[in-house]
Amino acid sequence: MHLDYQLREDSETDWSSVTEEDLRYRVALGNLIFHVGDRDFSADWGWIPLVDLAASFAEIVRKLEGGSPSETFEFTESDAWVRFQKKGEKVLVSTSYSEGVAEIALHSASAAVKSLRERLRSDLDRRYPQAAHNEAVRKLLGAA
Amino acid sequence: MNLRLLTALFLAFGLFLDGGYSQTSTDQVVLTRWALQHIMARHWPDSTATGAGKFQAGTTEASLRDMINEVVHNGRARHNTHGRPGTIYEYDFQRQIGTTIDGGPATRLRVVVSNRNEVITAFPF
Repeated sequence: MHLDYQLREDSETDWSSVTEEDLRYRVALGNLIFHVGDRDFSADWGWIPLVDLAASFAEIVRKLEGGSPSETFEFTESDAWVRFQKKGEKVLVSTSYSEGVAEIALHSASAAVKSLRERLRSDLDRRYPQAAHNEAVRKLLGAA
Repeated sequence: MNLRLLTALFLAFGLFLDGGYSQTSTDQVVLTRWALQHIMARHWPDSTATGAGKFQAGTTEASLRDMINEVVHNGRARHNTHGRPGTIYEYDFQRQIGTTIDGGPATRLRVVVSNRNEVITAFPF
């Protein structure tokens, strides 16, 4: 599973005052790069709030690990979705915008999501030093 | 039993029936200038944003406000997902109001409303 992102340049956001709602809908926008096996579930729409995506994926993995049979990520600006269905120790991944179903071990999905959060956190801290001290960023991506 | 206690019991019973979810669909939601800009940038007929539903040509700020209010008053409400704040409202107008991300006709509108009763986003699907 390859889970990555492309972050859009943003020189307008004041990262010292960014709120959770901003992070969920309005800032740190970009593209999702998402390959599972030979399936490409990437979304290059440019407006995807990446902090929200990373935090939501982490929540989804936590719920699956906790016994939930299925969890769906809904994109913020469309009815497109990514679905994660548990099948034993594996997870079936499908989307509304791309054909096919892919399978991955739950522990691999968990590791990929953890890595995504950490890389995004480091990237934001590097690009926008004030993000490192922002409470909402810490809440959604974890402390550095 | 005084009136305040009766009211509290009534509200508690309502929340119980609704699975702990309190709906304020009769309230008017606020469409701020920022939210309007957010919606126009992604979902207005002339927006170039990809992967996002678009409102039909001819949609105005006034008609958008009317549609949003109709959705909040008459639509189906649910909690926002995976820790996102706010409430999602969805309503099918039974007529085309825009286009889906595939370019097909969209008859439904999704409105996301914050806990402060402010519209966060709204788009056809």
